[in-house]
Amino acid sequence: MAGSAIEPANSGSPSQILAPSPVETQLALGDMARANAGRRLCVTAVAVPLLFMISGLVIRYAAFHSVSAVSGFEAYARALCRWDCAWYVDISEHGYERFPIPGQSNVGRWGFFPLYPMLVTTLRFAFPFPTILIATITSMACSYAACLVAWPLLEKNMRAYTLYCAFLLSGPFSFHFTTFLTEPLFVFLTSCVFLALKRSNYLAAGVSCALLSATRVVGVLAVFATVIRMFEQHRQQGGSAVSFPRWVLGRPDMLVAIFISPAGLFAYMLFLYLTVGDGFAFLHVQRAFGRVAGDPLLFLWDGLAAVPTKGWLPTAPQWSALAAIIGLILSVVLAARRRYGAALFCASSIILPLITNLASMIRYVIGLAPLMMLIAELLSVSKLTYLVTLALFLSACYFMTVAWIGGYLALV
Amino acid sequence: MPWSDGLSSYGRAASTGGYALAVVLAVSEIIILALALNPDVNADYRAYYIDRTTTCLNRDAVGSYTPGQTVSFRSDGAKQAAGMMVCGWSGPVADGTHSLGETSRLRLEIPSLRDGFTATLQMSAVIRPPQTIQRVMISVNGVRVHEVTLSSQDPTTISFAIPHAAFASAKVLEVTFDYRDGIPPSPAASKIYKRAIKLVSFRLDAG
Repeated sequence: MAGSAIEPANSGSPSQILAPSPVETQLALGDMARANAGRRLCVTAVAVPLLFMISGLVIRYAAFHSVSAVSGFEAYARALCRWDCAWYVDISEHGYERFPIPGQSNVGRWGFFPLYPMLVTTLRFAFPFPTILIATITSMACSYAACLVAWPLLEKNMRAYTLYCAFLLSGPFSFHFTTFLTEPLFVFLTSCVFLALKRSNYLAAGVSCALLSATRVVGVLAVFATVIRMFEQHRQQGGSAVSFPRWVLGRPDMLVAIFISPAGLFAYMLFLYLTVGDGFAFLHVQRAFGRVAGDPLLFLWDGLAAVPTKGWLPTAPQWSALAAIIGLILSVVLAARRRYGAALFCASSIILPLITNLASMIRYVIGLAPLMMLIAELLSVSKLTYLVTLALFLSACYFMTVAWIGGYLALV
Repeated sequence: MPWSDGLSSYGRAASTGGYALAVVLAVSEIIILALALNPDVNADYRAYYIDRTTTCLNRDAVGSYTPGQTVSFRSDGAKQAAGMMVCGWSGPVADGTHSLGETSRLRLEIPSLRDGFTATLQMSAVIRPPQTIQRVMISVNGVRVHEVTLSSQDPTTISFAIPHAAFASAKVLEVTFDYRDGIPPSPAASKIYKRAIKLVSFRLDAG
């Protein structure tokens, strides 16, 4: 061993030779400490959303209890099932209608995308409980999973992560993420798409996007984020803009990712064509819901101009218009931070429904995971804003849940 | 066969498979898009949902009716009136049934007659200044039989003849109300929400 490059510095007896040096011991201890710290961080990352899931449930239940004469988890789940939730329960239990619609109605269920109700229906086969109970638990699980996926997306920034988890599970709009609406699955799948893109795993992004496009129509727009990420990677490798199409054509995995991304939407279109005779029935039925195509700027102006006749609280159209404007501003901030794919996805996901009117705008904006993660990042910059926001989220959860149960129009 | 050759052939197979899958996906999506752009729907569906040429989605509704009977379109006559209402109406309330959209339709079974009918309707106008009148065109089985201008929010009785030629040997009478001055709830609101009249009662007398 004499003269060996790996000879220990304090050579002595054989037992002493095998013993690690103090430097090695320190390095090993350092590694262990880092591993322990990493494990602790991971445990915390798992525990934080769990904590907010429980606290959110307690706060929302307290809000429900304050306005309801009945009690129990099922009654709570039913009370939170408002507006579109009833449509999803119907789809889950009865599927989609053909035309003419039974009951001489002109509003078909075709406008509501199928993936989430299908998931709940599948779970109901395994667990024989009322649909709304299964859906509520599934929504909470999806939101919890969305938080876990956000951990690497937020660069393991614990403050931002805590705020984001609090927002989804115990925040002012947490009822949207814990009842039978598409938002829980939409947020989860959106996070999956962007995590896959962050890791340049295009096939995973494509499959997630396909599922996203079967959850809500705007989900298909995530394909543009995928293409933008591909372009960024191409540029990082020194490729020119002109050579990008040829580069993509030379990568079958990228082509599959692009073409599989809208597969959920196309599958639903095929289903509608075979059952209703109209692959665009999900768009055409919007007329029966009173949605008409118009100028988004006009809708925004009309919303802002709907001033309250008494009191100072903004009206529901004003809240909706403000939500759209804030969402668009945050999309610009995303672009300024060079997150072009997320910016385009969020901006187009706001503008597309805005073409018809302001209805459900708050829900659409808060359901855009990249925007909410950005807010969490911005508000966690200082400890003070972080603590104040956290306190606001938790306290607003109670009052907003009361407003939701009471049918406050802006929250639709 | 060297190991590297196996790997390379595996890579080639994966690459070919990838291209094949991409082509299958692209072709499937083009086919589905082509199907969606050529909907296989009936005329009623097309008119209401796709072409948007009507606000009144035709439905398979035919009410039973005996000439000489007055049908109330207030809440008290909801059961009989509901059977006659095809489309373009909201549910009955205490003082009548609101029209919805730009067209409303009633459809009722009638006995075979050699003469025409005299129709008597009670209607009131929906007024919101500057809109102070409501012009209503009434057609029977596609033949225009009457045009009235309502200017009062109180019920107005109107009476008009339906010539036998308008329905001839048909066993079903379809009465269509077209509104020229319907009022939308807000400037940006859909046409399907326009309000024009409130129908209070409907009566047909033979001769």
